[in-house]
Amino acid sequence: MSGTDGFDPGEVKCVVWDLDGTLWDEIAVESATDELPTPRPGTLAAIDALAAHGVLSSIASRSAPSVLDRLDAVPEVRRRFLAPQVSWQDKSESLRRIAKDLGIAVDALLLVDDSPYERAEVEALLPGVRTLAPEDVPALLAAFEGRETTPESRARVHRYRTEETRRAESERFQGSREEFLRWCDMRLTVGAATADEVPRALELAARTHRLNSSGLTPDRLRELVSSDGHELYTARMTDRFGEYGIIGAALVDRTGRSGRAGTTTWSVPLLALSCRVAGRGAAAAFLFRLMQRAREAGAEEFRVTLRPTDANLEMRILLRQAGLRRTDDTDPAIATAADSAVLGRTLQGDLPRPPAWLRVSDREEAEE
Amino acid sequence: MTDTQDRVAVERELRSMIAEAARLEEAVVAELPAGTDLFGPEIGLTSLAGVTLLGAVDKRYGVDVAALDLSLDSLQSIATLTDFVATHLQSH
Repeated sequence: MSGTDGFDPGEVKCVVWDLDGTLWDEIAVESATDELPTPRPGTLAAIDALAAHGVLSSIASRSAPSVLDRLDAVPEVRRRFLAPQVSWQDKSESLRRIAKDLGIAVDALLLVDDSPYERAEVEALLPGVRTLAPEDVPALLAAFEGRETTPESRARVHRYRTEETRRAESERFQGSREEFLRWCDMRLTVGAATADEVPRALELAARTHRLNSSGLTPDRLRELVSSDGHELYTARMTDRFGEYGIIGAALVDRTGRSGRAGTTTWSVPLLALSCRVAGRGAAAAFLFRLMQRAREAGAEEFRVTLRPTDANLEMRILLRQAGLRRTDDTDPAIATAADSAVLGRTLQGDLPRPPAWLRVSDREEAEE
Repeated sequence: MTDTQDRVAVERELRSMIAEAARLEEAVVAELPAGTDLFGPEIGLTSLAGVTLLGAVDKRYGVDVAALDLSLDSLQSIATLTDFVATHLQSH
């Protein structure tokens, strides 16, 4: 795909910039001194405007790797970019690596490059990636005009940088994986969402796939959040490297009295977690704490609506880990689409516990 | 090979795949009782490790547990997963 026709800004998580002829006018390796060319002010402004909308920036330059070292010496420019790739390899390969480093889909990248060859190479090998010439950048920015920005989306670039630091520390850490995880001092707080957290929860519903239980649309979620008996819970995470903001959202429906007559049930039509904190037990900890809170609120049953997709196997395994099994529930109050299933478990007896390295608390008590 | 031999071979291989996915010593998992829970304290499978395990099972045996077992009942213990894979191997 090239140009901005039919462009959906919601699909782009990271813009990948070429250097020579795109970020700056000159060719870096051809300069006589060690000094890098001066970036075009308009391009830097565009990068900052995108960052305000939560869109990351990276670099794919076909050039000498030493250019990246020289870029490291210019922190006010370097800090704008995550996972930069400067090498002689094909740009499609650089884009694959950027997506892998950032933990996002290749199709969530967009390449800005002045070379028609490089754009064509990426379009040919990565057909889902949109490419633009530098002169298309104003149209790109125009597509983001008027879109809602949340504090989380504005802080996204910063959080990815924190994650880069964490990964670098993790590579240097001497000790077992569990010792490292303990040293990270991870804290998860769970609580009922405040009004200003709702946009971020809607964003999670829209942007998550791997750890999304039902694919409930943001519009439907917004509708349910304000209806009787429904409550939105969020999970926030911090560790020694910084804050990750809201990393999980769950809609809880407390109107259900299904199963055995009179049994109070907490049903969760949507559970969605960010992949940014994957592999650290945060998703499991959030789910287990919700079960705990359901029990404290007097519920005897806990249910989650699951719509299996090609992408959400990890969520299915998480629900299985939490002891949720298929129910043969046909109560019309929680009627589900044909491709969905309701999983449930009793809240009696032992509930699963989060990993030992993660400190979990209710937000209400954490704020005291 | 008889079915029993098949099952024994599958269980041995699955134990090693479980160890790899859960980052445990192969020898430790080899010694666990077949009824050991996959999500219990001894194995401590996480959702992410589970994805790795089912990917390895599909690659090795062509048995796509995720597609065949909606509520993942087979992910109870070493024995239940072995039964599931061995049964679906025979129907190939």
